[in-house]
Amino acid sequence: MAAKEPVKRVIQQVRPILSLDRDEARRRVLNLYKAWYRTIPFIVDKFDIPKSEEQCKSKLREMFLRHKEVSDVRVIDMLVIKGQMELKECTKQWKQKGHVMNYWQETVEPKPADFLSKFMSGQN
Amino acid sequence: MMAGMLRRLPKSVVSLKWYQNSVSAYSSDALKQKEAPIVDNSVILDDKEMKEREKLTHLVNLPKEKTLASINGVPEEHVKDRRVRIFIPAKNAMQSGTNNLNTWRIEFDNRERWENPLMGWSSSADPLSNMSGVVEFNTKEEAINHCEKNGWKWLVSSEERKKKERVKNYGVNFSWDKRTRVSTK
Repeated sequence: MAAKEPVKRVIQQVRPILSLDRDEARRRVLNLYKAWYRTIPFIVDKFDIPKSEEQCKSKLREMFLRHKEVSDVRVIDMLVIKGQMELKECTKQWKQKGHVMNYWQETVEPKPADFLSKFMSGQN
Repeated sequence: MMAGMLRRLPKSVVSLKWYQNSVSAYSSDALKQKEAPIVDNSVILDDKEMKEREKLTHLVNLPKEKTLASINGVPEEHVKDRRVRIFIPAKNAMQSGTNNLNTWRIEFDNRERWENPLMGWSSSADPLSNMSGVVEFNTKEEAINHCEKNGWKWLVSSEERKKKERVKNYGVNFSWDKRTRVSTK
């Protein structure tokens, strides 16, 4: 059995997607965040979801902070592109109410964490 | 007024150029062409856009992320909770050959299986179960890199086996004082 050793992070020559350095990528992320932030009132209004603007804003923050560990500029760019696509889907109303509510994962049952509930659900 | 004219002039020249470009591409007997001609649109881009494009054609030095799990679209439950065993398959205890023991394989932790009520076949909801023991890697490092890239936890559970070296000499087989009748395995 070999212990898990972390793979070294290597600097390599790559072709950029959108940004050349971290600052530029950061600017793009902030722009996207602001765009989402400004759209939230319209999303709440148009989709008629049972969430307040504050709840949406905290969810937005959570979704962005989920990727705070990402350091590769190209991965950040890709995430920004995906976020941009989702924003467009929201503003053009290609998404429907259920798709927007999916961000909260309300229908997903939380996994059992402690021993007894794991035992009762038959997992180990 | 004059300045405005001057400013407008290059743009009209550019658009004319683009027009000629596209016309010349299409005009040469369109019926005989098998594919749509490639029209060079770069002439209608403005300076800023050209610079942006130019910028993206060069290679830059960037630290490479070790995992692509955040953008590859795999659900989080199949990234964070999975554990991968990296191993070389064990040798069959009978007289089978050993040619299939040279590659490294990966195997995922087992997920729930159940008997399907319709036909009694076994069912599973695990999309990765079909990858267990099938994907082959030449070296241990390749397998580890693959796991790192996908964000899975991994462990290596096999030792690398070196083949025992032996002299391949036909004449040795007939020597009377050497123990040359050895297994091929």
